[in-house]
Amino acid sequence: MAASRLGNVVRLCRQFSDALTFSLAFKTQLSSRVISCRVHQRSVGINAPKTSLAEQCRSFHSTTIQRSLEEFFDDPKNWGETTVKSGAPWTVELLRAKSSEDLHKLWYVLLKEKNMLLTMEQESKRQRVQMPSPERLRKLERSMLRLNKVLEERESALRLLQTGQEKAQPGEWRKNLLGITHWYRYNEYPIPWYLNKRYKRKRFFTPPFVNHFIRLRIEKDLRQRSRKKRRETENRKELLEKFPQVAEKAQKKAKVL
Amino acid sequence: LQQPAKSCSRLSRQLRYPLYQLGNPQLRIFRPNFFLTLVRPGMEQPADVVQFRVSMEMTKFDVKNYLEKIYGVPVAAVRTRIQYGTNKKKNHLNQRVKRPDYKVAYVQLGEEQTFNFPDLFPMKDQTPEPGSMDDLQNKFMEDEKQRQKNDPRRGGVPDWFGL
Repeated sequence: MAASRLGNVVRLCRQFSDALTFSLAFKTQLSSRVISCRVHQRSVGINAPKTSLAEQCRSFHSTTIQRSLEEFFDDPKNWGETTVKSGAPWTVELLRAKSSEDLHKLWYVLLKEKNMLLTMEQESKRQRVQMPSPERLRKLERSMLRLNKVLEERESALRLLQTGQEKAQPGEWRKNLLGITHWYRYNEYPIPWYLNKRYKRKRFFTPPFVNHFIRLRIEKDLRQRSRKKRRETENRKELLEKFPQVAEKAQKKAKVL
Repeated sequence: LQQPAKSCSRLSRQLRYPLYQLGNPQLRIFRPNFFLTLVRPGMEQPADVVQFRVSMEMTKFDVKNYLEKIYGVPVAAVRTRIQYGTNKKKNHLNQRVKRPDYKVAYVQLGEEQTFNFPDLFPMKDQTPEPGSMDDLQNKFMEDEKQRQKNDPRRGGVPDWFGL
């Protein structure tokens, strides 16, 4: 995860520097204002291609907008059908190509669809009939998860560029009273920590008399592991004795490999 | 709409809406993850009342804003209650099994609008096409039923009686 984020940053920086060198080279070679200007614009606009709001919102809509309680129900043509045709869920690749505004709109489309399906599911439970094409709910869930994932990616990329932080909420690994390491997420407190009784009640240290028990815990873990390993080897040996043909084959395979 | 905050299980904790930390770039895409279910009212309601099952965290104001902003439905008033899910059922180990609670919202529509819950599963004539697999199966079943019927001339006297 961290590696991929770092890689993102490195790639973005490289793109930026490439664009800069490109523009400089053009300036020196051609010394034409128009081209260098265009290149300069490109280099600035790499991170966030800006188009005006009027361009993004088309004036022509082909779909009819019907905003009422009817949206909680399926198309009346589909009422009483046993199966309803539906497409595949949105893939991550498709969503990545969309602008953030489009994704925002798409979320509300998915939300309404899910409300519709939940209504239908509840009604079918009540009437004790099978819901037509229940797989649509799962598809919706998937596409919503993917949409969230894509937006998170964009956020983290922005955060890395602007603040250089890997996580939205910073934290660190801490040890608690029992010597167990866990991820502590930093929180905001209205008073400093040494005045905060509630914070000081959480003890983020391991007293020395716990060391003995930590050692016991490690020993237990090691014992369990060795037992598991021994069990597996013995099991394998037994199986090989029971089925000698398989054993021969396995040996041949091992030789070949 | 308020920020969704679901707790309880670990999975829902991961799905929780991320808190804004000072200094981070601001989140400009708000995605509400509350869902409403329109249900047929069990008790008879006035003509302008719609019954919903809503998420436990949603308040009356949330429901009103949700319907007005997302669906464009005029809302006059919202009343809510919490339905206790039964824990009478027992499993095979004789332990009590709790059904989840849910919140019910009664939404009164404004602008003299009325709502009637439609019939989502109307009976459609299901005569299969002649010559199709279903049609053949139906014919076969009818024939079998006819064969297994008793002799009508015996007048309902069972098989085992008589010669």
